[in-house]
Amino acid sequence: MIRRNGFTDETLEWRSWLEPLALDDASALQLEVLDESHAQSRTSPYYLTLAHQPLMLRHRSAAYNAIMYAPGGLPRAERELGAMVVSVANGCVYCTSVHAQRFEQLARRSDTVEQVFDDPASAGTTDRERAIARFAIAVTERPDTLRADDIAPLRAVGMSEEEIIDLLHAVAIFGWANRLMQNLGEPAGATTS
Amino acid sequence: MPAADPFDNDVIDRAAGLAPGDALHAARRFRAKVVEATQASHDALLEQPVDGLSTADRLRVAAHVCAIARAATLAKHYEARLAAHPDRDAAPSPALAAMLVFGAALTTDPRQGDRAAIDALRRAGLRDPAIVALAQLIAFLSYQLRVVAGLQAMRASRTGTP
Repeated sequence: MIRRNGFTDETLEWRSWLEPLALDDASALQLEVLDESHAQSRTSPYYLTLAHQPLMLRHRSAAYNAIMYAPGGLPRAERELGAMVVSVANGCVYCTSVHAQRFEQLARRSDTVEQVFDDPASAGTTDRERAIARFAIAVTERPDTLRADDIAPLRAVGMSEEEIIDLLHAVAIFGWANRLMQNLGEPAGATTS
Repeated sequence: MPAADPFDNDVIDRAAGLAPGDALHAARRFRAKVVEATQASHDALLEQPVDGLSTADRLRVAAHVCAIARAATLAKHYEARLAAHPDRDAAPSPALAAMLVFGAALTTDPRQGDRAAIDALRRAGLRDPAIVALAQLIAFLSYQLRVVAGLQAMRASRTGTP
């Protein structure tokens, strides 16, 4: 278990500030979109809140799932690294806990997680991880001044055009995910597991 | 006769200047599902009917958010959509000011989110399903403008611009 700087890789709960959809009131479309979004969405306050707008949730989930889980391209652990760096930079404690766990499961180590919690901008145990973290910070903090010089370090560590697009997607979609988690509710205490 | 339009109807391609036939346009199709779901999100977020949240007001919020984020090509896109919208001259919602404040705060610093901001939207007359739609739109724009910025940088890096 890692706890540093206000972040944790423990499993957290999330509480909605809105009224989540009650399953008894859900339409057939809402149930269908919940089931295609996430395995546990029928009991998740986050998905039940977003299910108030089922078609918006459907396309968001399609984008999210393709970006984070599609085979090929950037290794999934590196997509999770990008997601975790952005979540720390944006201060999203809940998203950080989820994606720190995913990174640990996929990479089978947690050294990088400690570094990201301490200082995401300088984190990384290899040149490739450091390039990923720096790019994730640049996209998050100064999208208006991104330029070719921000791409060059990714090419220098051997990333293909397709891998760079995968990383860009993973980093950008956490600009979306963090804002929902941080503005529609808040993390609640760690669950004892 | 209008000049041939080199772009297809994908908003991100247009905003990033990627025409069919460009190498980066083709590379983006490596993740065709992402391209499709991103465009479908844009369309649903603007056009799905929502009680208390008109398409014209959503376009006003989107143009404002993109201008604040200095996403110039996307701001132009939303301004042009608003200018072409049949309801462009109808009075905006009395809640528009609160929506713009929420959009600006969420865009510039996601840490600013708190329960008081949600309560302000409720007091302005928005019900929870409309707040979900508004938050989804604003959060999506943060994603969309970053994808555009990243693709523009990749395009510059192919042509040797620093």
